[in-house]
Amino acid sequence: MRSAWTAASIVALAAVVPGVASAHLMVSGMGPLYDGIDHFGLTPQDLLPVAALGLLAGLRGPPTARLLLGVLPAGWLIGGAVALAGAVPAAPVLAWATAGLFMLVGGLLAADLRAPRAAFGLVAAALGLLRGVADLAGAAPGTGAALSLLGMAASVFVVFALAASVTLPLTRLWTIVAARVAGSWLAAAGLLLAGWILRYGARVAS
Amino acid sequence: MRRLTLVLVMLWGLLAACATAAHELRPAYLEISQTGADAYQVTWKQPTMGDVAIHLTPHLSNGWLERAPSDQYASAGYLVRLWTIQAREAAPLDGRTVEIEGLADTITDVLVRVRPRGGAPIDTILRPESPRFRIDLGHRPPTALPAFLLLGVRHILTGPDHLLFVLGLLLIVRERWTLLKTVSAFTLAHSLTLAAATLGRIQLSAPLLNTLIALSILFIAPEAIRARRGGQSLTTRHPWVVAFVFGLLHGLGFANGLSTLGLDRGAIVAALLLFNLGVEIGQLAFIALVLALRRSFRLMAIAWPLPLQLSPGYAIGVLGAMWTLQYGALLVGAA
Amino acid sequence: MNTTGRDASVSRRRGFAVGAGVTAVATPLVAGAHIVKGEAIGFVTGFLHPLSGLDHVVAMLAVGLWGAQLGRPAIWLLPVTFPLVMAFGGFLGLIGASLPGSEIAIALSGLCLGAAVLAALRPPLPVAAAMVGLFGLFHGYAHGAELPPGQNALLYSLGFVLATGLLHATGITLGLVHRWPWGRVVVRTAGGTIAAAGGWFLWEALASR
Repeated sequence: MRSAWTAASIVALAAVVPGVASAHLMVSGMGPLYDGIDHFGLTPQDLLPVAALGLLAGLRGPPTARLLLGVLPAGWLIGGAVALAGAVPAAPVLAWATAGLFMLVGGLLAADLRAPRAAFGLVAAALGLLRGVADLAGAAPGTGAALSLLGMAASVFVVFALAASVTLPLTRLWTIVAARVAGSWLAAAGLLLAGWILRYGARVAS
Repeated sequence: MRRLTLVLVMLWGLLAACATAAHELRPAYLEISQTGADAYQVTWKQPTMGDVAIHLTPHLSNGWLERAPSDQYASAGYLVRLWTIQAREAAPLDGRTVEIEGLADTITDVLVRVRPRGGAPIDTILRPESPRFRIDLGHRPPTALPAFLLLGVRHILTGPDHLLFVLGLLLIVRERWTLLKTVSAFTLAHSLTLAAATLGRIQLSAPLLNTLIALSILFIAPEAIRARRGGQSLTTRHPWVVAFVFGLLHGLGFANGLSTLGLDRGAIVAALLLFNLGVEIGQLAFIALVLALRRSFRLMAIAWPLPLQLSPGYAIGVLGAMWTLQYGALLVGAA
Repeated sequence: MNTTGRDASVSRRRGFAVGAGVTAVATPLVAGAHIVKGEAIGFVTGFLHPLSGLDHVVAMLAVGLWGAQLGRPAIWLLPVTFPLVMAFGGFLGLIGASLPGSEIAIALSGLCLGAAVLAALRPPLPVAAAMVGLFGLFHGYAHGAELPPGQNALLYSLGFVLATGLLHATGITLGLVHRWPWGRVVVRTAGGTIAAAGGWFLWEALASR
């Protein structure tokens, strides 16, 4: 009886949901969903802080990792929605946000800092919101943009989870060292970026 | 185990690199597809950076692209324009020139793909030094052999139907050894029919094949849900049987994908092997990704509530049903 | 897997070496692959910059070697703090702050760090850190002041940091042979070579004044 209802509800849903998935994917080679995944993978300003935050969350343990796993993609979705609604900050703000996020997340990771879980949640929220806005800045609202945002949020989720799984089982020193070194690299890059913005202005890809 | 994850993550990164390398890393994209006897669809996709779009305008010497596009939308990083054309002459593309205005001032590449109906597509890359290209439907250079490996990887990773079926299998099978047997059965089956179809031993009409593949996805979804609920069925007891049977079907689907690439008759076996290898690599990467994700959920000690646990199964089911209806309608319409 | 006793310690170190080596090789490949084609130039230029001066390269290697010699905690503390100190120096160079004598300091760094490795000096950790930090600052400053405009800042910074970090990692990985008696000799010899090179750079720097 239950399986019949399951089958019926599936078919009913299918009749209602528009066929966005199949149409665009094959026609344009990569549908908006894949575009979102692509974009995330090819944008270091997105990928690196998310991976670093994942490593950090793993160092802090499962409760923090669980919290951030939810907060980060959620922040991204909200940030993206804000951008689609038209509220996009100016380019210098976004450039400084990138440098700042690099330094913050990288620095926290390098220091292997212990702090209340809520603090990390705030960092994750800030990262998600700022990068979500930056990614969708200039995109016209519509199904395409929404799907690409979904693809991005999904990629964020996956990359974060995988990064956390590297440091969660804390048994070997070298993993922690490698993670902290990666954090210091990220923070160092952020510091250089900040110097650059001060010198040459914020005409930086954000 | 953690080192394994690290290796897997790096493998994924390398694969993403390969996949995107095959995709030419954010080039613009122009596809001219023949969708019916006189019907064509032109898709233009160009990268944007925030609110800045590089000034690029595609032109076709038959004037199709001078009209306003039928549809236009922006997704993150891309601006997409679609034209639906009803051709008024017999061979509207042959001998025509594609030109990308503004390309010479950029450092972007443009992938151009012309897909005539029932023939191999013509792929070319337009660069700033050569922003023009003449469509010659008579002469089609074969795809370079090494490219087939990457094409195989790309084919499976951008084929949601295949990936969803594999995901369905992964949702049903939990135990490592059974998973190995199941995936191997799927791989063996699809390799067999891929080879058979490519070498001309089997033929199956595309609309029928697509409908059957969609049905396979629709089939696997309730099984995944059932397995999650702890129920039993033939599928959960002997998943490798189901994997093998449907693998035969999916292999024919891969063969369709391979045939559209334009095979040089001489190197067909080598191309087939490389393509198949690419498909396996892509499949392994996807499975590795799902397993790594599962492991990370375990490490984070996440207790997903039951509705969330069942949602992938439901999602697969919805998409499977949707595709079955769509392709089924096409099949009935074509009959 | 055996995780106790001397065998475990060796396998742990081997694990570290393998991990560091693989990371050192794979990271630029993976990183470079993620760059949008047209902008790869910025990343590659940034990556090559720390490698462009031999005086920089030998000093970076020396820091890695010395870290390996000093053992824990320096072996991990230095790689974590060094990129930051160097980036700070770069920051100073970029914003136009004045830090005179950087050429001399850089040449001196090769000489001093090489000598430290040669003599297998083991000063207290704060002293070693201060020395390395000071030299790192000057190295970073020199790079920062030299940065060309018109590059993609983000990618350049990433390439730059990556190259520096990898040089470091290479130095440490090489230094790991320190475990074995013959390795200690190799490391000290390398230090001596670096010191000699540093001396030569210093001579050059002084002579050109």
